[in-house]
Amino acid sequence: MDMSKYRGMFLSETNEHLKNMGQLLIALEKNPHDRECIDTLFRDAHSIKGMAASMGYVRTADLAHHLEDLLDGFRQSGSVPGGAIDRLLAGLDVLEGLVEDINADLPERDITEFLAVAPPQNAPQAAPPEQPVPAVAPLTPAPSTDAPPESASMKIQIALAADAAAPAARALLILRQVKSLGQLLSSSPSEEELRSGALFSGLSIQLITDRDPADLQPLLASITDVAKVTCELSPAATVHPAPQTSRKDDAPRTVRVRTRLLDQFINLTGELLTSRYMLQAAADQEQWHEVRSGFDQLARLITDLHHHVLQVRMTPMESITGHLPRMVRDLAKKTGKQVELRLEGVDVEMDRAILEELSDPLVHMVRNAIDHGIEKSGEIVIKAWREKDLVLIEVADNGVGMDISAIRAKAVKSGLYSQTQLKSMPVRDVLQLVCHPGFSTATRVTETSGRGVGMDIVKSAVENLGGTLEFSSRPKQGTRILLKLPLSVAIIRILLVECGNETLGIPITRVFRTLELEGNSIELSGRQNVTRFDGEIIPLLSLSKVLGIDTPPLADTIQVVVSEARGRKVGLVVDRLSGQREAFVKTLSFPLDLLVGVSGATILGDGRIIFIIDPQYLLASRLKAVASKSREH
Amino acid sequence: MAVRVMIVDDALFMRNMLKEIMIKGGLEVVGEATNGVEAVERYRDIRPDLVTMDIVMPLKSGIEALGEIIHEFPEANIVMCSALGQEALVVEAVETGAKDFIVKPFKEEQVLEIVRRIVTASR
Repeated sequence: MDMSKYRGMFLSETNEHLKNMGQLLIALEKNPHDRECIDTLFRDAHSIKGMAASMGYVRTADLAHHLEDLLDGFRQSGSVPGGAIDRLLAGLDVLEGLVEDINADLPERDITEFLAVAPPQNAPQAAPPEQPVPAVAPLTPAPSTDAPPESASMKIQIALAADAAAPAARALLILRQVKSLGQLLSSSPSEEELRSGALFSGLSIQLITDRDPADLQPLLASITDVAKVTCELSPAATVHPAPQTSRKDDAPRTVRVRTRLLDQFINLTGELLTSRYMLQAAADQEQWHEVRSGFDQLARLITDLHHHVLQVRMTPMESITGHLPRMVRDLAKKTGKQVELRLEGVDVEMDRAILEELSDPLVHMVRNAIDHGIEKSGEIVIKAWREKDLVLIEVADNGVGMDISAIRAKAVKSGLYSQTQLKSMPVRDVLQLVCHPGFSTATRVTETSGRGVGMDIVKSAVENLGGTLEFSSRPKQGTRILLKLPLSVAIIRILLVECGNETLGIPITRVFRTLELEGNSIELSGRQNVTRFDGEIIPLLSLSKVLGIDTPPLADTIQVVVSEARGRKVGLVVDRLSGQREAFVKTLSFPLDLLVGVSGATILGDGRIIFIIDPQYLLASRLKAVASKSREH
Repeated sequence: MAVRVMIVDDALFMRNMLKEIMIKGGLEVVGEATNGVEAVERYRDIRPDLVTMDIVMPLKSGIEALGEIIHEFPEANIVMCSALGQEALVVEAVETGAKDFIVKPFKEEQVLEIVRRIVTASR
């Protein structure tokens, strides 16, 4: 039987179990008598074993079996001795490695070395492998090796009556019954597919059972709404399917969606269709009033649809904080510090694309906090919450805080700013300097945070997502890093500006304010036009010049968009501001993606394609020149 | 001893119809409830052999009540009553632990067949 189609599901479910196990083990270390925790861990290991064996991943199944045995021992003794957690965590690491191997189409790594190490002395003896698996709800198929010797693989085909009500629910009930008759190897459609409302004409099941097909057939045929059943024994070779070899990149990415949401999509589609016919009819009869109200309705439906589509992409932040407790535990052990990690509000949901980009930065900030923030003992708090269309994430520690004088000294030494410039720079902006590429005040590179990802990468990752990052820090009290992120990336609000004959979009998150300046509020500093903004002197740069566009001479009053680049505010001079709107951003492909400072494009209502520019990148090289020029003065 | 059945539905019409089917089939109707909250309470009191549970009900839906009863009494035999077009809810109910489901309009033989099968399997 072809098991390749189950590979993706195997990987995603196994990874979920592994993540869960990692978290539970850390919780168990703090509370070794937590019965429920031990039970859940046992079931996780059991599930992995069952799935891996069904897929033919022998070593993964063996190791999961080993962990399951260990945990079963603890279930019986009622607690987990301290040393055993390390063993279980180590086992989990090997298991993760095996799953990585499977994911990368590599042969499963050797596990004999791990299995050869005796379990911790103070741990109860692991149950002998021959012992049958204790009865737990058989959520996943048990491995074929546990099947009675005389059992065989049977192929069962079931057709439902054409008028069967709720066929998916019926099929799930049939599968439940089939599982009580033997070990379910696979079914098509799978339970997962049935749960998500897959359409199907019949059920095809592969079962390991010691029952006679002649007994099974009438049993299954008597189930309500079952129209036809065939049972046949299949050759034994299909019991151990060989792992298939599809490439990782080819695997389609999947998302779990609540069926209710899909129902809402269908409803919306229905309403959109109705709306379309109504508009068509109104237009044919030239009833313009009706047409107008039809458009209003259409606009509402589209907003609704947008909202629902975003829901599909939403994932709780937990999905990227799950492994942090384990990481903190290991780092604390390694550095000999006592570190508590507290996670708050991690059920906040965000666009999965944003979460994926945020995972590494979060790890880096936590590492930084352990390495440079906390001295002997302390706490790291990661807190997430929603504010309107933004998600705010705060990473705070109660460590030594950031050393402002060291940052200033380093900035001077590396020639970024002069002493005088730094003196007038607000503390907040000085702290931001640690995000400058290659900027690190730590004189030694540690194993913990010296791993290539610096704060500059964190900052650019956050900014690429349309977010911002702020520091606040107090000596001896700790450091807080606040990330402000949009909920979703595909649709953003943009400010439309005109420059020569071009219309361009600037993401609203990049705009501090827009100004209308009279000639007399523009000053000259060296050869640079500047103006005062919030008590600061900011350079004025002509967007036309930056982009190399011909532009009419400046009028009496000029329009300025205040943005930020390299941690400094900058005024961009444009010809005209022409409003805000929501835009669906399309990414650019080669060769347009080579344009520096252009982050995407969108289509306006009149069909024009406009570019969306990101001042941060557009001005990066230019500002450097400005900075060095003003230092010469 | 006759099989003891509890009927949960907010519509009197449906309760009476199901009652008639059950009695005709030689089953004993030992209790009724008109919403999910009542259903959970009555279940604790009378511990019937089987429950028919409507899905859409006031105060607490049939699926919520199902979940609470199953949580407390994992062996409970609960059959969901659904209407056409509630497939997603029926799937959810089955996932939550419903033993089977019947679809309105009810067919006498089908209802009894399902009830008998469940009771036989659990005895």
